[in-house]
Amino acid sequence: MKKIKVRTPGGKLIIKRRKEKPGVTLCAMCKEPLHGTKRRIPSKIGKISKTEKRPSRLYGGYLCAKCTKELVKEKARMI
Amino acid sequence: MVSLEVGRVCLKIVGREAGKVCTVVKKLTEGKGKSQPFVLVTGPKLLTGVKRRRCNIEHLEATQHTVLIKDDASDEEVIEAYKKSGLITKFNLKLPSAGEMKAEKTKVKEEKPKKEEKTKEKEEKKDKKKK
Repeated sequence: MKKIKVRTPGGKLIIKRRKEKPGVTLCAMCKEPLHGTKRRIPSKIGKISKTEKRPSRLYGGYLCAKCTKELVKEKARMI
Repeated sequence: MVSLEVGRVCLKIVGREAGKVCTVVKKLTEGKGKSQPFVLVTGPKLLTGVKRRRCNIEHLEATQHTVLIKDDASDEEVIEAYKKSGLITKFNLKLPSAGEMKAEKTKVKEEKPKKEEKTKEKEEKKDKKKK
């Protein structure tokens, strides 16, 4: 819980509490926000099914689709 | 870029089968204007995990290897071609056991219920609700 100080119209200082969310997951290579991943507190992320947490792709939830595409392309040329 | 002829070994780039090895079995359409070029592709599924399906050329990346197969070859023929070529050890693939091959053969596709039957059921439900 994050504490925020707010001054009311009556002149009082009041402490309000707000829930905090973790940040957006970013692609490890291009640092752009990932699709298909959910923002939840660690205690509540266990309740979500696995398919909702990350796309079922190679490097899903870690790299974006564009970056995986280029990685695999390089791999195909090396083989 | 290497051309995608029959027997070319490729890697899938896009989708949930990304990074898996597959082989081109047949050329389906050639791109003209807006229509996109498609090929028929198979792993086979027991060998690499790629299902036999139609695939856009832009979702494939060709490797330098080829496998000797006929046009429109079946999955078993492709597996035997892989055995002869020696690519299995190179890609670290696992050969399917005889039991798995039999199970795949005897698999019977479950028929989906026809649309007409569904609509009838819905109508029956509606009637029940009205009553």
